[in-house]
Amino acid sequence: MTRSSNENEHEDDHALAGEYVLGTLSFEQRNALEARLPHEPELQKAVMAWEERFLPYTAMTTPVQPSDYLWPRIERSLMARGALATHTRPVVSSRPPRRRLIHSLPLWRGVAGIGLAAALVMGVMLANDVTEPAIPEYMVVLLAPQTQSAGWVVQASSPQEIQLIPLGTFEVPEGKALEFWTKADDWQAPVSLGLIEPGQPIRLRLDQLPPLEDNQLFELTLEDEAGSPTGLPTGPIEFIGRAVEI
Amino acid sequence: MTDVSPEFDHTAVLIQCARGEHEALHQLYVHEGARLLGVVLRIVKDRGLAEDIVHDACLNIWQRADSFDPDKGSARAWIFSVARHLALNAIRYRDREITFDSNASIELGQDEHFQHPFTSEEAFDWQTGERMDSCLAELEPERRNCVLHAYVDGLSHAEISAHTGAPLGTVKAWIKRSLLRLRECMA
Repeated sequence: MTRSSNENEHEDDHALAGEYVLGTLSFEQRNALEARLPHEPELQKAVMAWEERFLPYTAMTTPVQPSDYLWPRIERSLMARGALATHTRPVVSSRPPRRRLIHSLPLWRGVAGIGLAAALVMGVMLANDVTEPAIPEYMVVLLAPQTQSAGWVVQASSPQEIQLIPLGTFEVPEGKALEFWTKADDWQAPVSLGLIEPGQPIRLRLDQLPPLEDNQLFELTLEDEAGSPTGLPTGPIEFIGRAVEI
Repeated sequence: MTDVSPEFDHTAVLIQCARGEHEALHQLYVHEGARLLGVVLRIVKDRGLAEDIVHDACLNIWQRADSFDPDKGSARAWIFSVARHLALNAIRYRDREITFDSNASIELGQDEHFQHPFTSEEAFDWQTGERMDSCLAELEPERRNCVLHAYVDGLSHAEISAHTGAPLGTVKAWIKRSLLRLRECMA
């Protein structure tokens, strides 16, 4: 506890930044460091210095030509975002619900990117059936992070009401429950949408929340029977995906 | 041969991305895509996941290009760091899910009977011609191997321990001390 001098603390932070760049920190340690970065310019500098020092050693890996599908896929994702940005830019940034900041954004992005891609494909397929979308409609495919198999679909025909539809069954362990969460890009933390019965479709009103927006994250985590004790996801993510406008 | 052609201007490309020019991101992808995929694939060791991560990295670079500050570091280091950290988050997230296994391997690593005698042979051809080479050269080969296994292969402390046969505590101490020495050397 008793750090004798600033000197020591600095040295620790330089080593911590180095371990972050090397990649030896655990997931929790990585999140903790990434949460500090935005407010600690010294730590940022330490991280960037290590990035620079080690960069030449990326040349030790052999380049691998990406598949022909990768760029078109990136381009589609860019288009989806670009189209959205022009639509929704003027919308008043609705106040995110006040919650403590715990979850790391990079993770949410990283894991959910996989879902986004799948959702885009689905979105394109479904677009053919949509005749005249007066208001934006959204859909989300929730994938299991491990197997990447689709487990649930969220459909929203209005920004204030969603339907969660199971695509299969899910065994909930004794004493546990599935809790449903959502988080838009500029919210600091996810908000619980309540406990979910596996295999049962459910319709939810989102009156208490800002209107649904593109790229909004949805996930189901495994929590205690009575739901997360902290009001934030604590258990493993079972299904995750992001909203795509269709 | 894997060196960057000097005429490619990473900073200019990021500035164009920040202005919303899709073509700039495409140029970057054409120029660095294979190298980014190579770096990511070495860490995650799964081709499909690696392409997903490069996809996400490109979107991240695009979205965050306006936050890049050339005074704080080079554009190329920034670009590669975005992709590497997405890859590292993905594998460390996966590690979290298999806590039982990793605990088991840690215990195994600590039990002297299960250890291979560790070697101090070079595991990498690591000379790049950069200044950091001379600093890495000052580290004992087994310590240098630990550092490079982490950076290049994305191995965790426990994995490095299992891979090299050095006890887990030793690996942790080696890496931490090596980082302090490298920093001093580069100062």
